[in-house]
Amino acid sequence: MTVMQQQQARPSGGGSSSLYDVLELILDKGLVIDAFVRVSLVGIEILKIDVRVVVASVDTYLRFAEACNRLDLESGRKAPTQLTDIVGDSMESGAKGKSKGALTGAVEAFSESLQRGRDGDDEEPAERKSRSSSSSTARRSTRRKEGE
Amino acid sequence: MPVYVYAITDADHPHRLDDLKSVGESSGPPTTVAGRSLKAVVSDAPADLRPKRREVLAHQAVLDRLLEDGAVLPMRFGFVAPSHDEVAGALDQNADAYAATLERLDGRVEYHLRCGRDQDDVLREILTESPEARRLNEATRQDPSAHGDRMALGELISQEVVRRNDAAAREIVDALAPAAAEVAAGEARGEHFLAVSFLVDRTRAAEFAGLVKAEQERRGAGYVLTLHGPLPPYSFV
Repeated sequence: MTVMQQQQARPSGGGSSSLYDVLELILDKGLVIDAFVRVSLVGIEILKIDVRVVVASVDTYLRFAEACNRLDLESGRKAPTQLTDIVGDSMESGAKGKSKGALTGAVEAFSESLQRGRDGDDEEPAERKSRSSSSSTARRSTRRKEGE
Repeated sequence: MPVYVYAITDADHPHRLDDLKSVGESSGPPTTVAGRSLKAVVSDAPADLRPKRREVLAHQAVLDRLLEDGAVLPMRFGFVAPSHDEVAGALDQNADAYAATLERLDGRVEYHLRCGRDQDDVLREILTESPEARRLNEATRQDPSAHGDRMALGELISQEVVRRNDAAAREIVDALAPAAAEVAAGEARGEHFLAVSFLVDRTRAAEFAGLVKAEQERRGAGYVLTLHGPLPPYSFV
């Protein structure tokens, strides 16, 4: 579970949230006043390239088919017993074959990388690069998936 | 002198900014420009402001601080006005609309939620529930040259993933919306199938977070719900 909150945390002079995940809000939401001029955002345009995965494409179909072929249904059905007390009886939608320990570890690693990012290098453009340099295990695994 | 603009607030906002850094290299604290009824939080605009991590964090830190003490209209990052006079003019020109928005946002903060789902988890669910997906999966496993079946499997899975993600996104928003004053859809991308912001009364923040936690527990470890907040209400201005 990755419910991250900074309700009480108020680090002075730093962001109070993961910069990457809220970057889009800071850059794309917020009030705009027409009479004012916006500075060039060259350097973070790369955010815009990171578009939603195109699901209706031959590449995606082949990738999904391959992932299905590789999937070991049996191993997925083992192991949920230890989680029953957490997720109760509604096992339909997930939690199969995962251990609580691994998840907790991932959350900790992610939080740690946020902490580093917050105090991090001032010269680094605030774009996607900043995320790939963080070494959260949770992020690594999802990024690997993206690259398949 | 061009000025960088962070936010608009009521005139009586305390503006505790003395220990904060401005964007750019001149690291003096931000100051305010007064209109007739509102104030803008500004600093001298650096000549070559670029969207580096430091600058975005400085912008965000100023807004976080302002949010602690009252309602705030956060500016989008990177806006520069030609002079203090222009800022005051802009404040006065739209004073009524800004005041109305400040009133609407008073006592409220933004929470931003992103949801992703483990791919194997959703594939497993689809294969468990769809006989056709199981049939195609077996066929393509046994005969790697069955290209037609492979494409059919991929297309079916793709449609099912979208359908299930869309349904989950709707359910999650429906489950959380009752604790929020407003909801604003964001743009999901990458590993997320849902990005959404909620405007939440401070008095209901714990209740809202509790609903998120309950939703995560209900869905199990195949889903990852990431909640950020409290944030300045970027999505609600």
